[in-house]
Amino acid sequence: MSVLTLLLAVPAAAGLACLLMRSRRVLAALNVLAFGLTLALGVGLLHQVLTGGAVTEWDEFLRADALSAWMVLLISSVSLASSLYAGRYFQRDLAAGAVTPGRVREFFVLTPLFAAGMFLVVLANSLGVMWAAVEATALSSVLLVAFYNRRTSLEGAWKYVMLGSLGLALALLGTVFVYAAACKGNPQPLPSFNWSHLMTLAPQLDPRLIRLAFVFVLVGYGTKAGLAPMHTWLPDAHGEAPSPTSAMLSGVSLKVALYALLRFHILTTACLDTGFSRHLLLGLGLLSMFLAAPFILVQENLKRMLAYSSLEHVGLICVGIGLGTPVTIFGALLHMGYHALTKPVLFFAAGNIHQTCHTLEFRLIGHGVLKTLPVTVLCLGLAAVAAAGLPPFGLFFSELIVISGGIAAGQTTVSVLVLGALIACFCGMLLQFTRILPGEPKGGRRHDGRAWDGVPAMALLLGGLLLFSIWLPQPLLAVMHQAAGIIGGKS
Amino acid sequence: MNTALPSEIASQLIALLAALMLVVQLLLVVQRMLLTSIRLFALQSLFLAGIAGVVAFFHGAIHVYVVVVLTLVGKVLFLPWLLDRQVRRMRIVQEIEPLVNFPTSMLVCGGLTLLGYVVSRPFTSLERLGNNTLAVAVTLVLTGFFLMINRLKAITQVLALLTVENGVMLAAVALTAYGMPLVVELCIFFDVLVGVMILGILVYRIRETFASMDTSKLSQLKG
Repeated sequence: MSVLTLLLAVPAAAGLACLLMRSRRVLAALNVLAFGLTLALGVGLLHQVLTGGAVTEWDEFLRADALSAWMVLLISSVSLASSLYAGRYFQRDLAAGAVTPGRVREFFVLTPLFAAGMFLVVLANSLGVMWAAVEATALSSVLLVAFYNRRTSLEGAWKYVMLGSLGLALALLGTVFVYAAACKGNPQPLPSFNWSHLMTLAPQLDPRLIRLAFVFVLVGYGTKAGLAPMHTWLPDAHGEAPSPTSAMLSGVSLKVALYALLRFHILTTACLDTGFSRHLLLGLGLLSMFLAAPFILVQENLKRMLAYSSLEHVGLICVGIGLGTPVTIFGALLHMGYHALTKPVLFFAAGNIHQTCHTLEFRLIGHGVLKTLPVTVLCLGLAAVAAAGLPPFGLFFSELIVISGGIAAGQTTVSVLVLGALIACFCGMLLQFTRILPGEPKGGRRHDGRAWDGVPAMALLLGGLLLFSIWLPQPLLAVMHQAAGIIGGKS
Repeated sequence: MNTALPSEIASQLIALLAALMLVVQLLLVVQRMLLTSIRLFALQSLFLAGIAGVVAFFHGAIHVYVVVVLTLVGKVLFLPWLLDRQVRRMRIVQEIEPLVNFPTSMLVCGGLTLLGYVVSRPFTSLERLGNNTLAVAVTLVLTGFFLMINRLKAITQVLALLTVENGVMLAAVALTAYGMPLVVELCIFFDVLVGVMILGILVYRIRETFASMDTSKLSQLKG
């Protein structure tokens, strides 16, 4: 078997194998092993794509170009970190009696399946199969959101699955329209519904149908990607899910949905040869950024605030792609990567705070978390500085690239708006964290001797972030340049 | 390949079946009993399978027969059975009063039907079969959305989602005359089955935790 097949088979097999296991340690180890393997496979795929161009398997059913290879790396890294963190996290949950061992096993079964779904999204060539895979990621993650079975988590899960499914129904309608546009005037069924095949047909597709299809797909996948104004499920689901799941939802799942949207964006641009889809992405991206800022500022719940920060970052990625110059698209892809390394750290730290303080409300957490959980707060602080977009962390550079790229493209207004939204979000994050981190701990709350819980996963991500912020290896640069070329329609 | 006569009949049959799907949808909007609603959904899926069958027969598209079988087994038999069992197990018979009362709902759906016909008019030239099948499909999607926001019981919302899905599948057949490629149809079918099962688990847990299936109780998360 070769690399694409293995990328799907390894997590799926790990998920199924976990069904048979009992011990929590074995389950966690199996998950870590599987994602370690997929990361290695991802690096192998990166190498293959860079040397030989797009890789296809199963008669072009699976196809990976630079953009897919980049997404595979993101999915693997975030999943690996999440599974590293999950072992300890659930150990504490079990000790506190918050969950049953059966429920924990459910987590370790569903998480690899969730990841396998995301791998299928980025590797499937057929747009129809890609839709089914996005739906599969929604279905496999909904029970993870409902994990704690609290009233609020059930509510979050219900909103997530209902809005997600409605959105995806619209995306399916859009997909059907694309298929119809390709079938037009053709009495025989198309040989395939493959994206690569459609791209060769792009100039002959019916422009009216493609335009309509893109609007449906934008609303549909945009819902799953958490773009405003379809983001309403996002803080609920991210706030209620267990921290490792929140990290995966925010770190990669949003971007995977965005990836699906991008495939249609590339096709639409190739067909219409106008900025139609680009401008829509730009508009929604800006709206998301501006909507996120006030919600970050007034948010009373730590994880919900982090969810709104994800909304801001997804918005920025959309703006970068919407501006449409090679520089800004490159900046957007870079931002995807850095955000995937940063946001999970914040969610892991939030998980530690939750387990120590038994709440996520800022008011109830009170002051002085720094003294209660020094190591966690150190990681949290570094990641927060990174997420707020300060140097020396990479998000600063990627944001700068998008803004300066916008100015260079003559879109000064957009750049100024982006800068304004970024500053507003920065102030909001800073204000919120100063509410809880410094000061004297509340009611004699002391650190419980588990100061190092979850630190390996956070340190791994932060180390990677710092390393790649100062030094981007040549292959990563090359793959992002190629991916930016694909999105910009230059290959 | 096709003489004029069969495709004329096919066209008439498809228009008839599509109209019946719409009629069932409107009945669903004003139906209060949960078990009857599930039967109505099964009936609607049966008409969809009928349309696929007519397409398969008259257009000679072999793979569409597979779609017919999948629709029959999955949406006409299995899913209604599953939902039926769940409703019986939870001992819920009736939907509570919807947000918009039934006469007004009927009017709203009339409006949505008109809207469906208006928005799909520019695309009628692209339709490959039947008269106004696309309009019916769009209307199914729109009224499905309305059904979903109008009802409070979780099970009815699941049914609404399924009717939206029926509408999308109808659009696929209407626009292409042979539906999507088989592998895509298989994937979608599998997703719908798994989806309803997972929704079933979730509905069950909501029922256990809230002692109700009323989704208006899900209102703690704000901001």
